[in-house]
Amino acid sequence: MTGVGYSDLLAALAPETALVLAAVAVLFVDMGLMRSAPLRQRFLTACAVAGLGCLVTLGILASSGAHLRFLDGVLVVDSLTQWVKVFLVVLTLFTAGISAQAEFTEHVGEYFALVLLATVGMMFLVSTEEILMIFVSLELTSLSLYVLAALDKRTRHASEAALKYFLFGSVAAAFTLFGLSLVYGLSGATNLTGIAAGLRAHRSDPLLAVAVVMVIMGFGFKVAVVPFHLWAPDAYEGAPVPAAALIASGSKVASFFVLAKIAVLGFAGVEGSGAWGQLRAGWLPVLAVLAVGSMVLGNLTAIAQGHLRRLLAYSAIAHAGYVLLGLMAMGYPSQRSAALAAVLYYVATYGLTTVGAFGVASVIERVLGNGRIDALAGLSRRSPLLALCLMVFLLSLAGIPPLAGFFGKFGLFTAAMGADPAGLGLLWLVGIAIAMSTVSLYYYLRVLKQAYVVAGDEEASRIVVPWTDRLVLIAAAVGVFLLGALPELLLGPLARAIAGGNGF
Amino acid sequence: MQDILFYVFAALTLVCGFLVVANPISRSPVTSALFLVLTIVSLSGLFVLLHAFFLAAVQIVVYAGAALVLFLFVIMMLDLKAEERRRITRLGLIGGGLVAVAMAWLFRVVPREAALVASGPAHVEGSTPALGALLFTQYLLPFEAISLVLVAGMVGAILLSRKEPS
Repeated sequence: MTGVGYSDLLAALAPETALVLAAVAVLFVDMGLMRSAPLRQRFLTACAVAGLGCLVTLGILASSGAHLRFLDGVLVVDSLTQWVKVFLVVLTLFTAGISAQAEFTEHVGEYFALVLLATVGMMFLVSTEEILMIFVSLELTSLSLYVLAALDKRTRHASEAALKYFLFGSVAAAFTLFGLSLVYGLSGATNLTGIAAGLRAHRSDPLLAVAVVMVIMGFGFKVAVVPFHLWAPDAYEGAPVPAAALIASGSKVASFFVLAKIAVLGFAGVEGSGAWGQLRAGWLPVLAVLAVGSMVLGNLTAIAQGHLRRLLAYSAIAHAGYVLLGLMAMGYPSQRSAALAAVLYYVATYGLTTVGAFGVASVIERVLGNGRIDALAGLSRRSPLLALCLMVFLLSLAGIPPLAGFFGKFGLFTAAMGADPAGLGLLWLVGIAIAMSTVSLYYYLRVLKQAYVVAGDEEASRIVVPWTDRLVLIAAAVGVFLLGALPELLLGPLARAIAGGNGF
Repeated sequence: MQDILFYVFAALTLVCGFLVVANPISRSPVTSALFLVLTIVSLSGLFVLLHAFFLAAVQIVVYAGAALVLFLFVIMMLDLKAEERRRITRLGLIGGGLVAVAMAWLFRVVPREAALVASGPAHVEGSTPALGALLFTQYLLPFEAISLVLVAGMVGAILLSRKEPS
């Protein structure tokens, strides 16, 4: 480490440090001061402390504009990583917001501390280009999320889902680690640019093929693409709603960003080709197979779901397939920055939409006692606000203009169309994606039909939405609408950040 | 001498590793765990041959000492008789066989066509000062991040193992 002192490192890590301190503070406040207070008050206090920590972190992120690169890429801070961290902290803030009225556990302090620790892991994940650090931060995120998923100990079902998530996750982590160690063995480097240079002599090595597939398998689990998706429906349904929201939003944003980094920077030169009729070995065809599987299976299976959160899980699998199209477009240098901007816009707005949808699910499940889609009947009369928010989120997921989901999909698909300089190589994937988006409209509308058209119980009372949930839902819905109507609000700064970054 | 020792330790590792999962004499999980201890001890012998004395010691202290003792505790709390009675099913046999054939094929193909970077004698920075220096300079951040992983793990373990009052 030349010319870099420990204090420089600490200064660059100020946002993460603030969040860790917030996690410790939540633990102390809840265990020390609020011990005998009623559960409701403890949740509100802990939520306030965690929210304050998130706001301070956002402030630090907004005020720092330095471009730093420490220790061969162990820590990379530039405006792009700052933006992704802002997304992550905002999603965490919303997650904390929808947990404020929760009652699923008595371990309030631990719950919020783990949410914050998971976010710290995600923030480390996006600001590193070093495989050792990638693995450690991935484990920090995963371990916290496993525990969060298992927090609801009241039902057998939840424990089963958590165990499934944990077992799948640890096997996937083993695959990632094995793949990364093979990559290290081949290239002799642990930072991504060094890996790309070291792999130059080994492009046709079968060991490299094994390594690439294993690494992508591990991350395929994190982002829940077919065939590594089996945990997702159970975990989304069984975990406490806010924890599921974090698993579905923040963790996805960070995992997609780091997967793109590994593929584009680390596996540069082993792209292969995913164009129709001219598949060549590399990471592009692997992603193509995963994308097709996710889009087709995710969308078709979602049709048959009767539980709102299970439906969201299968729709998440489908959306992961769309994002993979954007990652594939990044494999072609001519389109790289446009595709990166499209991917980041998509995952950010998708995260926002998902947190909102889970927020609606959380209120509904608290009041109705179950999250089945049939139970939504008459929702528009019982709570116009909930029904309206649900409509905004689901239509955005379906990709209806002027909501953010439309622009996200539009950006991804145009990036994928224009990616191949030799022609419309990825057109076949875009074709499948558009056809499957049409299918997706059906199941989203089915939910909305329950909420708006089907008459419910006439005697049912109005649903009172607590102010914290109302705040989060309205903020998320307005965000989804604004970012869809004025995509430049986000795309402009993102493009500037990408242009000012280090080529990624 | 070195070569002979390498083959001895490598063979011990493989044989004990095999006996962990498929012991023809005893089906008791305790025997499996004890063979895992032997596997780890012979692995640390391999580390010694690479002059990585610190790694060898850590291998024994952490894995054989701490992790496996925990394993044994957990195993003792389970119903051992049920595990011993369990027979290998046909499906498991076929699946396991397929995986074994695939792995054997990989081991045949890959070493023939692949070359690792370090083709000469391996140079392992295994001495304690070198490792320590790396941990506090180049790999400082992962080292610190692991402490957060431990915090998360600890909070999680306390949380999940506590009995709920209801």
